[in-house]
Amino acid sequence: MRRQAVDRYVDRLLGRRRPKSFAATEDELAMVRTAIDLAAAGPDAHGPSPAFVDRLRDQLREHEQTQEATPEPRPAWRTPPRRRFLAAGALTATGALVGAAADQLLQSRDQSPQAQPPDAPGELVPVTGTWQPVAQTSEVPEGAVVAFDLGAVTGFVRRTGGRLRAVSGNCTHQGCRLNLDTTRDKLACPCHGATFSLAGVNLTRPHQSGTPLPALPRVPVREQGGTVQIYAPAGDHSPPAA
Amino acid sequence: MIWRADTAAPSPRPSVLPWAVYPDWDAIYADNVGRIYRLMFSKVGNRPDAEDLTSQVFTAALGPLRPGAEIGQVRSYLTTTARTVLAEHWRRTLGHQVTEIDPDILDLAELPPGAGDDGDAGAQAQRILDALPERYRQILTLRFLRGYTVRQAATELGVSVANAKVLQLRALRAAARAETAQGVRDVEANIVGEGEAS
Ligand code: FES
Repeated sequence: MRRQAVDRYVDRLLGRRRPKSFAATEDELAMVRTAIDLAAAGPDAHGPSPAFVDRLRDQLREHEQTQEATPEPRPAWRTPPRRRFLAAGALTATGALVGAAADQLLQSRDQSPQAQPPDAPGELVPVTGTWQPVAQTSEVPEGAVVAFDLGAVTGFVRRTGGRLRAVSGNCTHQGCRLNLDTTRDKLACPCHGATFSLAGVNLTRPHQSGTPLPALPRVPVREQGGTVQIYAPAGDHSPPAA
Repeated sequence: MIWRADTAAPSPRPSVLPWAVYPDWDAIYADNVGRIYRLMFSKVGNRPDAEDLTSQVFTAALGPLRPGAEIGQVRSYLTTTARTVLAEHWRRTLGHQVTEIDPDILDLAELPPGAGDDGDAGAQAQRILDALPERYRQILTLRFLRGYTVRQAATELGVSVANAKVLQLRALRAAARAETAQGVRDVEANIVGEGEAS
């Protein structure tokens, strides 16, 4: 009997139907897990169907309209009216040009044409970049933290648990440049005293009060050819000086 | 200052930087629906559940998410939500956390080309299959990776449908054991070394 239950579960999985629950033993749970791992490399894994994408978008729009009347508490991480890191200029001044590129970008990121935003083509801000070296691999051993400055992007890269992580070096309060604390285990803002963990989580707030600040944005980082590289806006190496 | 898609990016597929902003809900949705779906699919292995869970993630995020939010923040918010939604799904169905979303991917979910390990799912499946005897590997490949029906797989392998079913079940059990053993070996690797228990 038991054997049939897990069998049926897998059959439905393979038949692209919703599997039914059953009281599974440890062994059976392991089989389900393996079946899922295998199915994850199967034909349905590549992406949602365009029909689903459309249907869910419509549902969400409806949902949004019915919700609109209710005021909601502002979640801590919601973007505050602060200095826009990087993107603000492009957003206001050159919407149309940038918008055209945005369409291209979205299309290249998702093959289904339905996934493009159908309206508001002039607003999305595509900021594209290149991988730029910021340090030698040997300069970022396990546990190390290294500051980098690429002009448009500044931040801190560290290696933890064998993996590289990088965060933006601009305070999410009003954009001041963060410093690595003397203990090298947190980032401190010289302007109003906010601090952040090396992973970017806000530890103390400006002036010791108010709501927590949003986390520092993560910055894409990789390692190649003996160098640590940051993904940053292409072709901008100009110093931030006026 | 504008960075255009055509400014000498060496990568074939330019990406939006994670700290650019989303102007509206549609942009948030369009950019992330595929990502969340694929993530969920890799954790539940079937389309109806993956679609359901994807819907739940976006519905839950609809209130808190607002245009003007940075891409990186939106993505980590969605992935965190996905983690909770998946845990609840398993609690409701099999009563065990069969799969979970690694907190390590909570940051960006999809990095620009070259940053992540693309084809993770494929590599994992390959690793599972490689550990199996030929016959087992064949049936699982046909059924899971190629989408063959039992009947088609039976024909391909030259066995009866009943035999194909038995073969599939045995293969899956063997694969599950190997995977569990591999997990244990990974943990004990430093202590145990080469110990082989086939
Ligand atoms: S700008 Fe950093 S605390 Fe105000």
